[in-house]
Amino acid sequence: MNAPDVSTAGEDRAPRRLDPRTILIRSLQGSPSLVLGLPVFVAWSRGEGFPLGLLLAGTGLLLTVTLFVSWLRWRAFTYRILPGQLVIAHGLIKRTRRSIPAERIQDVSIKQGLLARLFGLAEVRIETGGGEADEGQLDSVSLSEAHRLRQVLRSIRTHGGVARAEGGEEEAAETLLFRMELPRLVYSGVFRFSMVWIAAIFGLLQYADQALGYGWDRWLEMLGLAEQALQSRLDITVVMGLSGFALAFGLLAGIVRTVLRNFGFELTHAEARFRYRRGLFTRTEVVVAKRQIQLGLVERGAVSGRMGWRAFKVQTLGGGDHVSGRQELAPFARPDELAPIIALAGLPPSEPSRLRSVSPWHIVSGVIGFVATPAVTLLAATAFFPLAGLLLATLPVFLAVALLRRRCHRYGLASTSVQVRRGVLTRRDWTIPYGNVQAVSVTRGPVQRLLGVCTVRIDTAGGRGLNRPHVHDIDEADAAAFVGDLIQRVESFRRGTSLSAT
Amino acid sequence: MPFELVQLQPLERGYLRVLRIRSAIGWTILSAIAAAADAILHVRTGVSPGVVAGPVVLLGVLATIVLVPRRWRRWGYAFTDSELHVARGWLTRVHTVVPVSRVQHIDVSQGPIERGAGVAVLSLHTAGTENSLVVLPGISRLRAEAIRDAIRGRISDAPW
Repeated sequence: MNAPDVSTAGEDRAPRRLDPRTILIRSLQGSPSLVLGLPVFVAWSRGEGFPLGLLLAGTGLLLTVTLFVSWLRWRAFTYRILPGQLVIAHGLIKRTRRSIPAERIQDVSIKQGLLARLFGLAEVRIETGGGEADEGQLDSVSLSEAHRLRQVLRSIRTHGGVARAEGGEEEAAETLLFRMELPRLVYSGVFRFSMVWIAAIFGLLQYADQALGYGWDRWLEMLGLAEQALQSRLDITVVMGLSGFALAFGLLAGIVRTVLRNFGFELTHAEARFRYRRGLFTRTEVVVAKRQIQLGLVERGAVSGRMGWRAFKVQTLGGGDHVSGRQELAPFARPDELAPIIALAGLPPSEPSRLRSVSPWHIVSGVIGFVATPAVTLLAATAFFPLAGLLLATLPVFLAVALLRRRCHRYGLASTSVQVRRGVLTRRDWTIPYGNVQAVSVTRGPVQRLLGVCTVRIDTAGGRGLNRPHVHDIDEADAAAFVGDLIQRVESFRRGTSLSAT
Repeated sequence: MPFELVQLQPLERGYLRVLRIRSAIGWTILSAIAAAADAILHVRTGVSPGVVAGPVVLLGVLATIVLVPRRWRRWGYAFTDSELHVARGWLTRVHTVVPVSRVQHIDVSQGPIERGAGVAVLSLHTAGTENSLVVLPGISRLRAEAIRDAIRGRISDAPW
């Protein structure tokens, strides 16, 4: 009844189950701490005098229960393709049956994690553009089933009925828009220099430490010895060597992370749809329909940007595997490579000449927020932790950022879009077509009220997280004119399209 | 100097009553808890009664009589036939503008206290994230329904 790889149109009516190998993957994924932590626990409990047999029996029982629950969940999860809709039913105790109408399906993306790749499985996500809750997720089916599903779902979407699934009818030929070769990938990694990873590695070391039963005090002791040894000849070369090592490590971490994430990055385009593939271990393939795109964002890194490199992201309505709801269509490209992509995304070109600066008070509020407040806090903190005083040394950097802030912040109404530029270190350029502006808020905090400025927040669909196109610290009079004009343009845009539609 | 995009209308006086009643209920519950704490404290340590409950009751009276009207006065709204403006907030002022054509659907609701005071809540849902729900409380039911019908007429001829 649920042979996963047979694919004729008639059989689609019958409910199917996910690939049985999913059970194994789920239990493995669900309990990485179990798999990794078990040896640690065994080592520890041996020391405490637990009998080994009891431990093994307990572990066995736990594994059996996990597998059994996974199996039950697998059994309860079915999906079927009916004429004009996909029906997903799941839930052990509370049964849920979700039907996704074919015309709502924006696209079908396929994602393969490392474990899934080993087993030849893939996760299929049915994107509806209705946000997380309305989306269908099949985790996981065999890769061939995933491709078959994508074709069937696409064809029922376009032809309105269950069409012939196989026959290998590919969609219109895709044109390659952008590709990252290995040299460029590695080069882009150089700019992702990160110190965060060093912390992560220290965390890992500490974990391994427990696993090896090698006490923390032992490390401290060693550190103390090292310190003694060092202090005898602590000179400039040692410090230089150490910081050089840290730098090299941060560099390597950035490169490794970038290569893992963006390996084989490829962006193609066909029929008003982008498709990108990336990743070394976790291979992701995501489709972004042009009509899902809410806004465009061009990022110019602090160093790489000055060397002429940009990243292009779009914010989509639902879908994607990004927490921010943003999809990176080109992670590291030249502006002339980006221009055709931006045009194909239906986004108007950036018009920097039409942008204006915000109020000079923007600098003042930056100085208050980034410099004065942290300075006072730090000074107060030094009373209790004298070491916090060291952080005061970083304040000039923040002061510089605050002073440059206004020069880097611009906004304006272009012919078909509202455009915002912001960011001292990383410069971000947002382009929001008038048709995608959902609401506008003007907020004024206590300090802003004192200075007579306000923040204009432009709300779009699917915009979450950091780095949204807010315009900070505009003069109140300018803000009133800006918002009034913006709303009028949004309204007249709507009227224009509704007229042309009827 | 007040800054406004448009001339704002205040909310109904009835809503002030709603806010007062709500505030009174909240503070009464808090006072009851404080009184209980007081009693326990008195039995355990012999502190004179009213140490906890006194300030709470005082604060409650102050909030209900002085602060609530201020909060109420901070609200304002305006409906032109193409957009709805809602302004609110005391420490941080927020003025939200929703273009009528971006409204996905509209609710008019009335709780029991609001029904007594003759006011209604108008809720606009948009496809946005931050302002996916814009709430305008404290307008008369008739006004809320008039705005709802005006918006409904406008969104029915939008493309979706």
